[in-house]
Amino acid sequence: MITPARIVFEEDGKIFALRRYSEDLEDFSGDLLKKRVVDLKPSEKLSLFPYGPSAGGFTESIYFSILTSGEKIEAMNYDTSLKDRKISLSGKDILKALLITERINGIHSASYSSLFCDLMERSSGIEISQEIMDLRTLMMEMERISHHLFVAGRLSGGASQNIASMNIYLLREELLRITGQTFGHRYFFGINKPGGIGRDIDLSNIYEKLESIVTEYEEIYRTLMDSRIFIDRTDSTAIIRDEMAAGPVLRGFGKNMDGRLQHRYYNNLNVRISTGDSGDSLARYVVRSEEIFSSWEIVKKILDRNTRFNMVEEAKIDKIQGTGEKISGYMETPSGDLSMILSVRSGKINFFKYSSPSLWNLRVFADAMKGNNFADFYFGLESLGLCVSETGDIR
Amino acid sequence: MKAWFLRSFKKGIVTSSFPSGKNESLSPWATTPAGDISGEVNCPVDAIHNDKVDSGKCISCGICFPQFKPSLQIPQITTTRVEKSLSKSMKLYIFDSGTCGACNLEIMALNSPQYDMNRLGLSFTNTPRQADAIMVTGVLTDGMIDPLKAAIDSMASPKIVFAVGACAISGGIMGKSISEIVGLDVQVPGCPPDPFVIMAAIEKARGRI
Repeated sequence: MITPARIVFEEDGKIFALRRYSEDLEDFSGDLLKKRVVDLKPSEKLSLFPYGPSAGGFTESIYFSILTSGEKIEAMNYDTSLKDRKISLSGKDILKALLITERINGIHSASYSSLFCDLMERSSGIEISQEIMDLRTLMMEMERISHHLFVAGRLSGGASQNIASMNIYLLREELLRITGQTFGHRYFFGINKPGGIGRDIDLSNIYEKLESIVTEYEEIYRTLMDSRIFIDRTDSTAIIRDEMAAGPVLRGFGKNMDGRLQHRYYNNLNVRISTGDSGDSLARYVVRSEEIFSSWEIVKKILDRNTRFNMVEEAKIDKIQGTGEKISGYMETPSGDLSMILSVRSGKINFFKYSSPSLWNLRVFADAMKGNNFADFYFGLESLGLCVSETGDIR
Repeated sequence: MKAWFLRSFKKGIVTSSFPSGKNESLSPWATTPAGDISGEVNCPVDAIHNDKVDSGKCISCGICFPQFKPSLQIPQITTTRVEKSLSKSMKLYIFDSGTCGACNLEIMALNSPQYDMNRLGLSFTNTPRQADAIMVTGVLTDGMIDPLKAAIDSMASPKIVFAVGACAISGGIMGKSISEIVGLDVQVPGCPPDPFVIMAAIEKARGRI
């Protein structure tokens, strides 16, 4: 299988690509990536159902146009551009660019800021310690647990498993509170800095609390898997088998692929990858649940070797001047692979592109919904763990 | 079914008594930083002047640390109107005009057992037509201007417009404030605001605290 290109761009008459899980730009002979366009034609039997951009069922604004007979979905289009924030990083200094990057997708800010800082450090030959790598990894794994708990809560609530849903939200809130108390921020804003961290972190009190959250989730997960209602609502819905998919969606149909397997931050952490085979909403839920347990295994290994992280001087930001050369890389966010290319010149960003997992998952979801029951739309959408904010365009 | 009931009994009461009692937690950097510094402090959104911090601008980035530290107090919530007629029951509609996602999730956290918004007569609604208050999150984006105006127009009076988070209040570091097209009845500072801060703002807007 050819690894798909995640970012393709033209410069000086040549086309370059960055492939999934790659840190190397390569010459590309194909076409630039095109926007998905499906012509939806209503007829006597088929009508267009508009859904969004602001509606109670969504966590973020997005517009769907669904061609339907009333029961079955025949085709679907989506538009994420309505809430496009027109983010521009060109000409921004490193610090401001970092703060904006953290907020491209606020609930995955640890993954975004870790990749941004990693590229900054590589652009200027700054070595970071194993401790800093460990802290970034730990934040990303806690972020993964939090995100997967949120998706599990949404899915179980949608299937009328309200007690399960509330129990899961309870655990997620406990996790966010521990995160807030330990890191100063419930979504890890302001921790990562190129070359170091922005404040002292003391992890000596989180082991038991995290262990209790994961153990409790395991009980909920086992009980949910005995629920015929939950299984019936998620089994065989929104089957996705498209290799352009990312993260748990890709692993949900048996692909043993995860950016953490080859990323140097995860060396010696023995990342355990879980896969499903049916590619439906249930398989994606199982993959996410198993990832909660494997993320906890990673967190434990890191906590076993570190409990204190001291603030590293921010002065390293001044060392990042850059030569204008493009640096690229990837990170596995809770939703899937994030790819980024940037260059720095005279201490300011002069090139920035990224490809988010939600962009690809939304695309394959829209194709996969053809033939599904209308009522399954919710389960398909929620099982993606979609973050609309990261599908916006970077100028 | 039995397993769920047993589990719930075993867990006991987890719901906060806030606002009559004290908030059990508060994310430090969701509180307004405080310092005793005169002179230059590095703030990427120009929220700090001498020792005064504009909480509506502060994006909780912590760049001002160590000169400024989190105050660990619920920030000042600016309210230009109070609707006591909504003190028994209030339906909230969340409107995302251009967020990073975090503010939306913090509002939705009010539904989790620790906060249990229903005990205060609060609930979410799926349409602005049934809403008493609209919680606008994120910066103002071109594509969401018309939907935002339409949502507010479709609400029955009395209606309250909440700007939740630094992006909605001031534009934060990402863009423009929603105040360019709508009047803000309540400003809830933070990036994102802690759920207890959002709850305090709601209670203040309906005259309960």
